[in-house]
Amino acid sequence: MVNTGLVVDQVITGLSIGSYLFLIAVGLSLIFGVLEVLNFAHGVLYMIGAYVGIMAVQSATGNFWLGLVLAALVVGLIGVVMEVGFLRRVYDRDELDQLLLTFAFVLIITDGVRYVFGSGSRIINPPPGLRFSLVLSETAAIPSYRAFVILASVLVLGGILLALRTTNFGRVVRATSSDRDMALLLGIDVPKLYTGVFFIGAALAGFGGALAAPLQSVTPELGNQVIINAFVVVVIGGLGSFTGAFVGAYLIGIMIAVGSIFAAGAGQLFPFVALIAVLLLKPEGIVGGAEA
Amino acid sequence: MSLLELSDVNAYYGNSHVVFDLSLSVEENEVVALLGRNGAGKTTTLRAITGTVPRRHGTIAFRGDSIVDQSVDRISNRGIKLVPEERRIFPTLTVVENLSVARDSCSGTEPRPIEEMFDIFPVLDELRENRGRNLSGGEQQMLAVARALVQNPDLLLLDEPTEGLAPVIVEDLREVLEDIVSRDVTVLITEQNVEFALDLSERAYIIESGENAWDGSIEDLRQREDLLEEYLSVGEASAD
Repeated sequence: MVNTGLVVDQVITGLSIGSYLFLIAVGLSLIFGVLEVLNFAHGVLYMIGAYVGIMAVQSATGNFWLGLVLAALVVGLIGVVMEVGFLRRVYDRDELDQLLLTFAFVLIITDGVRYVFGSGSRIINPPPGLRFSLVLSETAAIPSYRAFVILASVLVLGGILLALRTTNFGRVVRATSSDRDMALLLGIDVPKLYTGVFFIGAALAGFGGALAAPLQSVTPELGNQVIINAFVVVVIGGLGSFTGAFVGAYLIGIMIAVGSIFAAGAGQLFPFVALIAVLLLKPEGIVGGAEA
Repeated sequence: MSLLELSDVNAYYGNSHVVFDLSLSVEENEVVALLGRNGAGKTTTLRAITGTVPRRHGTIAFRGDSIVDQSVDRISNRGIKLVPEERRIFPTLTVVENLSVARDSCSGTEPRPIEEMFDIFPVLDELRENRGRNLSGGEQQMLAVARALVQNPDLLLLDEPTEGLAPVIVEDLREVLEDIVSRDVTVLITEQNVEFALDLSERAYIIESGENAWDGSIEDLRQREDLLEEYLSVGEASAD
């Protein structure tokens, strides 16, 4: 008989995993939805964000919140360099070329970070105001920082959906993602838009990495670990769908956490079973196409 | 100086040579028809003007300046707007959003108010919040023209606007386009529906297998049954 308290604990852990999976998957989905590029390097952008956050906390300022802002900006700018300097040259080529190019970034950036920071893991604490627990019931409590990260992921989804529906930039992004050539015929500077979208997608990865840094040990391999789950999330949710990424991320998070009760040490098994099921039964994803 | 001038243009669709040494001109506030059978090279000519297919030889000048080798968005922002044959409405955007994207993306000309489009196209007024994918073919065609018109074009390129539309919708479209051309909008129109094109236009070019075959006034063309039959199959169609 499974202990109810344990299940509740694991669901809370799953929600927490889902929240930072969403923050990486949403940028991946945004970039794919508009640029149609599967960015394998999105995981290392997330990892760089985590390191920027750690550096900010361990610097003279010691300010975690400054680290969040810096992580988004620094990683966003790295994304701009990747898009303008490299990816732009392969948009018209085979998808495999794009994938291989982003995979080369994974190897180069992972080794570069290992060279600078070493291969050891780094851990930081949540910011001082968020080190208490929120008691949900007699048997369940959630660390306040985990609750904060879940709230942040909800706010990010809300902000993206609101921006897409109510701003001109959002409308242009939706229009261009559905018909790039017609967007050009209307006079939209599509290359500039692509750079802007890549900046936002990369900045979200950086922000997510810094936000999740207090919840996990950070190593140069972090990007490689999360990118696989992020791909599973966007395939299950529906490539290019933000709501799908949100639903997919929380489903995967809960599957990993709750699944480990039933198959200790093999919680990762369940998302891949779900991935196969979605690919076979609903290949467009749970929410795919609804907003694309 | 003509508003648009093509001289000895050769254009390709992929590896196929489609347009051969084509020359034509469009004057300001004029409506010109580009006629020819299916596959004659009309659409490729419009695409060469908008930069969506590469021109390999010849010159294309707009207001006297060469627009050859300029990017598609730059040509658009000079005031040349295409209403493509496939309409290409943004399917997940509403009618208002389709018009807003066009209005707010306009950098070369001062856009027209969206409300003016609803005056010209009353049918769209009732469909403001409907998504593009939920519109009928006729409604999509109206929206495609309105989307180009809201950008206040100096030259409007209409590619087969009646293609696939029911006769009653074609009549609605004719009324709208007659209203538009009466507002001093310069138009270059390609059309399989010859009567539709002749009613709207002042001059015409006939192209056959990508080459100039004839050009002149609509009055002259109406007198030339031989041309209508030889190049546009009008006589055959009437016989049917």
